[in-house]
Amino acid sequence: MMNSMSNVEFLKALMTQSFKLVETDVIDQYQVSFVLKQDDVHQALITLKNAGWIQMSYLSAIDWPDENKIELVYILMNWERPVHIQIRTKVDRNDPVMPSIINIYPGAKYYERECYEFFGVKFPGNPDYEKQLILEVWDDMPPLRKDFDPKAYSDKKFTKREYKEDYLVLSEQNNKKEKREERKTRAESLKGGQKI
Amino acid sequence: MKSTKFTPARKLSKEEVDRKWWEIGDFFRRNSLWMLMYCTGCCAIELPPAMTSAYDMERLGMGPMATPRQADILLISGYLSVKSLRRVIYTYEQMGEPKYVVGLGSCPINGGIYHDSHAVINQLDQYIPVDTYVAGCMPNTESVMNGFVDLMEQIRNKTANGWVKYKENYEWYKKNQKAALGEVIIHDEFHE
Amino acid sequence: MKQMKLFLGPQHPGMHGNASVHLYVDGDIIKKSFLLPGMLHRGFEKGMERHTWINNISLIPRVCVVEPDINEMAFAMGTEKLLGIEVPERSHWIRMIILELARLSIHLMAYGGLGGPTGNYTLMYHAHADRNSILDIFEQITGHRVYHQYIVPGGVRKDLPKGIEKDIHAFLDSLEKRYEEYRDLGIENPSIVARIKDTIMLPEAVVWELGVTGIGMRSAVGKPYDLRKVMPYARYDQVEFEVPTSIYSDARSRIDCKLKEIIQSISIIRQCLAKMPEGPVRIPLGRGQSMRWTVPKGYVYSPVESSRGEFGYYMVSNGGTNPWRVGVRGASYPQGLLGVEKYLPGTRLDDAALWIDTMGVCSPEIDR
Repeated sequence: MMNSMSNVEFLKALMTQSFKLVETDVIDQYQVSFVLKQDDVHQALITLKNAGWIQMSYLSAIDWPDENKIELVYILMNWERPVHIQIRTKVDRNDPVMPSIINIYPGAKYYERECYEFFGVKFPGNPDYEKQLILEVWDDMPPLRKDFDPKAYSDKKFTKREYKEDYLVLSEQNNKKEKREERKTRAESLKGGQKI
Repeated sequence: MKSTKFTPARKLSKEEVDRKWWEIGDFFRRNSLWMLMYCTGCCAIELPPAMTSAYDMERLGMGPMATPRQADILLISGYLSVKSLRRVIYTYEQMGEPKYVVGLGSCPINGGIYHDSHAVINQLDQYIPVDTYVAGCMPNTESVMNGFVDLMEQIRNKTANGWVKYKENYEWYKKNQKAALGEVIIHDEFHE
Repeated sequence: MKQMKLFLGPQHPGMHGNASVHLYVDGDIIKKSFLLPGMLHRGFEKGMERHTWINNISLIPRVCVVEPDINEMAFAMGTEKLLGIEVPERSHWIRMIILELARLSIHLMAYGGLGGPTGNYTLMYHAHADRNSILDIFEQITGHRVYHQYIVPGGVRKDLPKGIEKDIHAFLDSLEKRYEEYRDLGIENPSIVARIKDTIMLPEAVVWELGVTGIGMRSAVGKPYDLRKVMPYARYDQVEFEVPTSIYSDARSRIDCKLKEIIQSISIIRQCLAKMPEGPVRIPLGRGQSMRWTVPKGYVYSPVESSRGEFGYYMVSNGGTNPWRVGVRGASYPQGLLGVEKYLPGTRLDDAALWIDTMGVCSPEIDR
């Protein structure tokens, strides 16, 4: 709380002396993130737990279909030297397998089960990660992957209410066509900017 | 010449007698409806102010009831996910007749803000019959009380017969339920 | 010695929220238990990827229905960290008032919810009558009773209306006068104390094993591990308050900590109203280009102290108009799932609903 700059410096020194880091990012004085290779993650978690980071806050995954990888993230917390640590690693997307961490942090059991259900990542070592937890009798691909379209699924399975169409669609009028094209090119030229 | 001392009443047929008993029953029923305690979704947070001393529901004669076998109203408060709809169908079929269903919020009407979600149904009318809707996201507690008063008016005008429609079109409702849910009664309920 | 299968089901007068607990009982003792989530699953994390950054404000409060302001605060803080901007001074103080009023309303509701499992419904009537006054104050400030959509990235939407300080002070005075009545009715009442004293205790080793935060952790460990003291956000370091703790954690001491937090929240709101400076309240982000406004790349975790523990949003952006991934860390995920599976067997059947009430298991944030 007082010298929190030394907390982040302590962590950076601890991690660079033991592991080869792919990337490091200091977000502010209370948060830091490290990107590791997949085989170093277990040893890194054991090192951090012995250094005092005994609470596991969150475990989840992020889908990157362009690079053909799924990124796993682990977030740890220590209340005596308050810094949140993000540990990230990338796994292959077609057959994602990651050994389970429940002998280091027992609280990860249900997070891993949910990660299998929504992304398809397997965790050998966790006794019942294949049972369904939140979805029931699910018959499609894992929902949080980027190829899954929830609106198409919803239109196919659940019927929608029909409303009477008693309105005019004005944007199809031909005599306003030039003004519409001009507005569109002006909008495209401002794309991606922050106007603050 | 007819005697003026005693004119016997016209003998009523069986259907007319039944209808008169049913009307007396409707009078007692609409002034003392008991509501099943089941919070299915978001809009259930506006029910405790309606049940307790803020906007007292008991002056309309309504009270809470713990078991579906003795309740009159099933209140669907908000959206229904697919898992919840299976349990609601068991509960609806366990209630005794006549029974009424009230849908709170915009989600039972057309899906509401979750219309593009893979786990929320879009139109409640296809699966169980609904008597009254109360629109809003979420509706004020005064609108909820207004919805209950509308239901009582409907019972008085004899237009609240969703339960009769369920009995007559049972095949149509079951076909819709199977199409959306897959299986209505789960074969491994305890998820072993 | 047969075992019977029971549902402490979704439709139950003593159950909070819509989750079902599957129990195997032998006589009165629970042998095996499992909480089944998923009845309130709406697919939020997928829905947030389909809306733009500012549009998401209308979707997020619905994640946790009893205390919706923490969702907006965590999302707004995360977006501001990714952008690297600082909001105006007056909006920090207004955000603190809204968050503390939300904490008061949920502590009152949880204390009244003790009436379901123990059968003392008078508590519920008193608590909800007071909670209704808080919802009326929210309607004057933000326009809606429950889903406010008031804390946005860039500040708060509008300034406080004139004359609201009088209403807030009148409500806080009336709540302080009734505090002794609340204590007499619930926690000093001998018939309820017999139910909640020395039941479902939580030793310290269990806290670190499960990952429990919030009142469950503070009442077992005995130290003020609160995010408002340890990593202060939004000017909590300029306000004086204490964090109630205890060493012996049974149901009664957890409820006692909750009641003491009510007094601390009242004092925080009074100090905020006295110390607030004048000035603007909002930086208008994305004005005039709502469909094209983007946020730079980054991976950020933004935690907030809710009434149940550490509640956080994990936000990932790849430089586009929509978020790439938003993950919600529900504060009651550890004690609701792993806690029910490992620490409920061995207790009596009537304590199962008390665990759900005193540890603060809120099912919408487990299912999202």
